[in-house]
Amino acid sequence: MIALLRTEFVKAARRTRTLIIALALVGLPTLIVVAIKARGNRPDRGDRGEGLFRLASQSGLLVPGAVLSVMSGFLLVVIAGSIAGDSVASDASWGNLRYVLMRPVSRGRLLAAKASVAGVLIWAATILVAIAGLIAGIALFGVHPVNVPGLSLGGTGAGFQLSTGALVARTALGAAYVAFSFSALLAMGTFFSTLTDTATGAIGATIGVYIVSEILDSISQLGVVRYGFPTHYSDAWTTMFTANTFSHDMIAGVVVQAAYFVVFSAAALWWFRTKDIRS
Amino acid sequence: MSDPIVSTEGLCKRFGEVKAVDDVTFSVERGQVYGLLGPNGAGKTTILRMLTGLERPTAGNLRLFGEPVTPSCAQLLRVGAMVEQAAFVPHLSGMLNLKLWWEAGGTSFADADLDNALAVAGLDSAIDRKVRTYSQGMKQRLGFARLLLSRPELLILDEPTNGLDPGEIREIRELIGRLTDDGATVLLSSHHLNEVEQVCTHALVINHGRLVADGTVSELIGSSGAVYVEVDDRDRAQAILAALPSVSDVQQQGDGLVVHMRDGRRSDLAAAITTAGLRLETLMPTQQLEDAFLDLLAAQEVAS
Repeated sequence: MIALLRTEFVKAARRTRTLIIALALVGLPTLIVVAIKARGNRPDRGDRGEGLFRLASQSGLLVPGAVLSVMSGFLLVVIAGSIAGDSVASDASWGNLRYVLMRPVSRGRLLAAKASVAGVLIWAATILVAIAGLIAGIALFGVHPVNVPGLSLGGTGAGFQLSTGALVARTALGAAYVAFSFSALLAMGTFFSTLTDTATGAIGATIGVYIVSEILDSISQLGVVRYGFPTHYSDAWTTMFTANTFSHDMIAGVVVQAAYFVVFSAAALWWFRTKDIRS
Repeated sequence: MSDPIVSTEGLCKRFGEVKAVDDVTFSVERGQVYGLLGPNGAGKTTILRMLTGLERPTAGNLRLFGEPVTPSCAQLLRVGAMVEQAAFVPHLSGMLNLKLWWEAGGTSFADADLDNALAVAGLDSAIDRKVRTYSQGMKQRLGFARLLLSRPELLILDEPTNGLDPGEIREIRELIGRLTDDGATVLLSSHHLNEVEQVCTHALVINHGRLVADGTVSELIGSSGAVYVEVDDRDRAQAILAALPSVSDVQQQGDGLVVHMRDGRRSDLAAAITTAGLRLETLMPTQQLEDAFLDLLAAQEVAS
């Protein structure tokens, strides 16, 4: 299995697309940090991640959280969807899938290897964003504790201070939560990737499901149904910084992601093991 | 008696209402070079896909080396297969493609028959170029290199000369000849009848998914399984050819000989003549496989 993982990793890592994504994941956080620096302390306009953005200028240690809060909403979804949707379908579209299976490699092991490599790349993308933000943030804002004022960020009481140790720990936990929150997307993308020999179709379907989920999640009239959407708890981690609480929504988010992961992974495995390989 | 290398019994494959393969039974014995003949859409590739575990039969039995075929079954370790065109990871070099494909099976690349494979590919320094820069012919040759890495006992080749220029086609045919001389069994699909006639000992004809005919190439050509030969010493050649086990009768006709064959390839006749020091002037079938093939298809159409 190790050899299979290595071969799948080399195939994915050596693509030009992977290099471009890596450059974007380093470059964009750097640009965002420069924008935070340039923006200074102008008034809050209520934008997404605004609270973390305004605080970020206090300490470079808070910058990764601010950057992740912006990029996890769309750009990381697109990147994770591309990686997951491409996992099986790319080999199929090249016509190479049949040759790997005739090597022979068991279909279950091959799917597990491809999904694992996609998962590693998605985690790597998230961590790369955090590290790029951290380096740029420290370079521009230094390392300091952060004073979070009450009420203005949606909190209910007095303000609080986050020490540098707390910032580091919560940033690590936040990045892990963001990466884990792509588990549903990973499994769905892998499943869609087994359904088609066209990588763009699988990628489009994966990202499309997430966009639809985001849209439906914004309709409050749907009530408790929204709690089951894969994107509903995506931002639950930000309260670690803005409200000094570890929200129960994070646990719910983990459960929802795990449930989607299990269901769609099982579906992908069943389908891939039984389908006719015609590509 | 040992199991056939390939055997099918009542093999069927449906795609919805379409019967792609319908009740096909045949077997390939060790050392045979079997041609799978049929027009486009006859079901040839579907049969090869089922043999390599890529598709599951709707009904019937399918065995390789005596064991049932399942997806990614262990018998495939003894098979070198090229189904449709050779395909690779385009952004990797030819060499890295070979290495990753081999290592995906959990075996060290040092165990692969790399020198022989590279000699067959004949790509020289291009082996280190990305595959996306290759011509179709180069990809096909790299495909042959890949399937030879494991020194396969059975070669399954689907239209192996498609997309190649005449020089490359000749190289591939010579390669197949060398491999069969070394004892490999070959199952080869093609709609190039002259290719099958030149390369194969046996053939089966498929049309609309059904088996139309199965036998030696000579049998398929029927009474016309005869070969016309001209040499510089006709009497001596008659004696030499008549002594061959694959020859049933040799008669003089005009300036040459008409040789009736039971089995075997026409190249066996050429080899016997040249080995005896005679000069071969002409060697050609009295009737082409193409004639027999078209007759068989026409007969099936009438029958159905």
